[in-house]
Amino acid sequence: MGNGRIGAIIGREFNYHVRRRSFIIGTILMPLLMVGLMVAPILLTSVRTDGEKVVVVIDRSGQIAPQLHGEGRIRFEPTDRPLEEVKTPGRSDIYGILVIGADIESRPSDLTLYTYGPSTPETESAITRQVREIIEAGKLRAYEIDNLPQIMREIETPVSLQAFRVDETGGERASSSLLSMGSAYLFGFLVYLFVFMYGAMVLQGVIEEKSSKVLEIMVSSVRPFELMMGKIVGIGLVAVTQFLIWMVLIAVLGTVALHLFAGPMAAGAGALGVVGGGVPPELANVDPKALAALRSVTDLAFLGKLFGGFIAYFVGGYLLYAAMFAAVGSAVDNVQDAQQLQVPITVPLLLSMIVLFSAMNDPQGPIAFWFSMIPFTSPIIMMARIPYGVPAWEVALSLVLLYASFVAMVWVASKIYRVGIFMYGKKPTLREMCKWIKYKY
Amino acid sequence: MELLRVENVTKRYAAHTALDDVSLSIPEGSVYGLLGPNGAGKTTLIRIINRITAPDAGRVFLGGRELRPDDIYRIGYLPEERGLYKKMRVGEQAVYFARLKGLSRREAVVRLRVWFEKFGIMPWWDKKVAELSKGMAQKVQFIVTVLHRPQLLIFDEPFSGFDPINANLLKDEILELSRGGATVIFSTHNMASVEEICDHITLINKSRNILTGRVEEIRHAHGDNIYRIDFAGDKAALEADLTGRCQLLPLDEESQLYSSLVVRLASRDDVRGVLARVNERVEVRNFREVIPSMNDIFINAVNGKL
Repeated sequence: MGNGRIGAIIGREFNYHVRRRSFIIGTILMPLLMVGLMVAPILLTSVRTDGEKVVVVIDRSGQIAPQLHGEGRIRFEPTDRPLEEVKTPGRSDIYGILVIGADIESRPSDLTLYTYGPSTPETESAITRQVREIIEAGKLRAYEIDNLPQIMREIETPVSLQAFRVDETGGERASSSLLSMGSAYLFGFLVYLFVFMYGAMVLQGVIEEKSSKVLEIMVSSVRPFELMMGKIVGIGLVAVTQFLIWMVLIAVLGTVALHLFAGPMAAGAGALGVVGGGVPPELANVDPKALAALRSVTDLAFLGKLFGGFIAYFVGGYLLYAAMFAAVGSAVDNVQDAQQLQVPITVPLLLSMIVLFSAMNDPQGPIAFWFSMIPFTSPIIMMARIPYGVPAWEVALSLVLLYASFVAMVWVASKIYRVGIFMYGKKPTLREMCKWIKYKY
Repeated sequence: MELLRVENVTKRYAAHTALDDVSLSIPEGSVYGLLGPNGAGKTTLIRIINRITAPDAGRVFLGGRELRPDDIYRIGYLPEERGLYKKMRVGEQAVYFARLKGLSRREAVVRLRVWFEKFGIMPWWDKKVAELSKGMAQKVQFIVTVLHRPQLLIFDEPFSGFDPINANLLKDEILELSRGGATVIFSTHNMASVEEICDHITLINKSRNILTGRVEEIRHAHGDNIYRIDFAGDKAALEADLTGRCQLLPLDEESQLYSSLVVRLASRDDVRGVLARVNERVEVRNFREVIPSMNDIFINAVNGKL
């Protein structure tokens, strides 16, 4: 009988929130946005706007211009005409005029670019680089070393570092500090966002039920504890649903996007083993940092820890904070009044976000350790540590602490809740709310 | 046969005592009025009966044994302050409340259809609650309260916010439920409805039960030996005749138009003597005791004049 009732409450909360327009829009938009952020840079670099940038070169030294070569959209057009003749106002047929000083080798800053449109760093750096290389090559030639180009080729050594992390079982796991940091921030922030967003939803739901006096009708048939837990669990399920939909959508859209826009990279990711072996020859020229990241991303054990950790810590953190939000919601008549009483809830959450950055930089340090044990901050801080690898006992201890304090918090919150829902009018102080815990009901 | 017994119940809050040693007994099948001014403790008592809150001392029995958690399903409670989820659909919401009372979804829908038809609100089944008028929302709340066919019904100011036609409709339904065997507790300030509907009352004032019993017995017990005589004959002669035997009371305007007198007797034993004298002098059309209204009793009781 009791299960049927709490089931009905959970069902109502779930259906109500899942059908809301904001949920539907958020659930679909967020993955699109994420994938868009992934794809946009690839798209932008691959899609080039057409049209050449013609740069007229007036080379007073006579040394540089012949060796300048077109690069990207830039095309160089040497001319013998004087600057005054070329530099007529309002020319749209050319991009700009480059003037190279007569004594450019000894005065390398005697290099001037006049443009008719906005100048871009890309163009400027291409010009300075080419001029520099040409001058340097000229100077090198002056030393008259035989076989210079061959020597240069032989000297050039591309060094790349492949990082592996030796785990407790002695196995090796590809590790990428870049990816660890990225996922530490992403998942820490996700926990923060979800706890805040869905905790606030519990708060609003309780206030709405109280101020519309729906609670009065229900309290005779349902225990206040069941009402509170039903709401918390129902909204929590909405959050988990949203997260799962996000992950599926991001995985599907991301795969599609990767294959469409970055075929070779995606293929490379597929070819890589879970535990890092040698680098396949066809990928030898790929950026090693990206390679390490790709290896970690396709490491199922790593992904499992990340998502498993997220679910465990989000659920624990959400339950803990939602109980507090419910207690505050029960004590007030409207959302405005809740703001002040919310302070004890929002402070540890905001503190977590501050500590998050130092935990990301020193994931094994004392600050990271202690804040990942304290239940109020552990959901966010531990999520920031997990990508770097955390001893199992630390995770276990912090989870036990988190869920134990959730149980304690629910007990306290339900005491406040059942007094609070019958209190109308005056907004209570935190001290008064603490007194409610001791009320006998 | 007694359905509910409240025994020496006391409930204290931090600053004040809401109920102080209150006892009452509610017979099965009765319509029981729970009266009292605002803040007297009625709602606290109702919440204790509903197990929303627990008494500090005393006990409550339902059907002969102490109240248990499952007894909730034998009680239907319509609170004074009541609301619905504004953004939910009417039918869906009614089904939800019914399920909270332990009904299955299927059973709830079947019963709800009967009630919705009866109250003529079937067309609103799929509408959002926000679109309902206040009266219509109250009909839904009433239906939800009685849907699980509880043995004991508790109504807190059920008629507030209803127009006279709908108030009448509701009253008839409540009496119908009472005839069907349900015991009804009424918490109200509306004394007219008490006289009309209730057979028993308890008056709570300042956390204490100050008056309890059958409505007719209470009214008669609080009679002040005042009688009204309607007659045909010489009024002045009768007045002269009665002076000294009993106290003549001033008449209200309406009664002055007719041949009527209102008198207070020293005691009930004088009735025969006075009536014989009146009979001698004039032709008696009507001779009856003027019993106080519940309203007067309520006001006198609360002001401590009893």
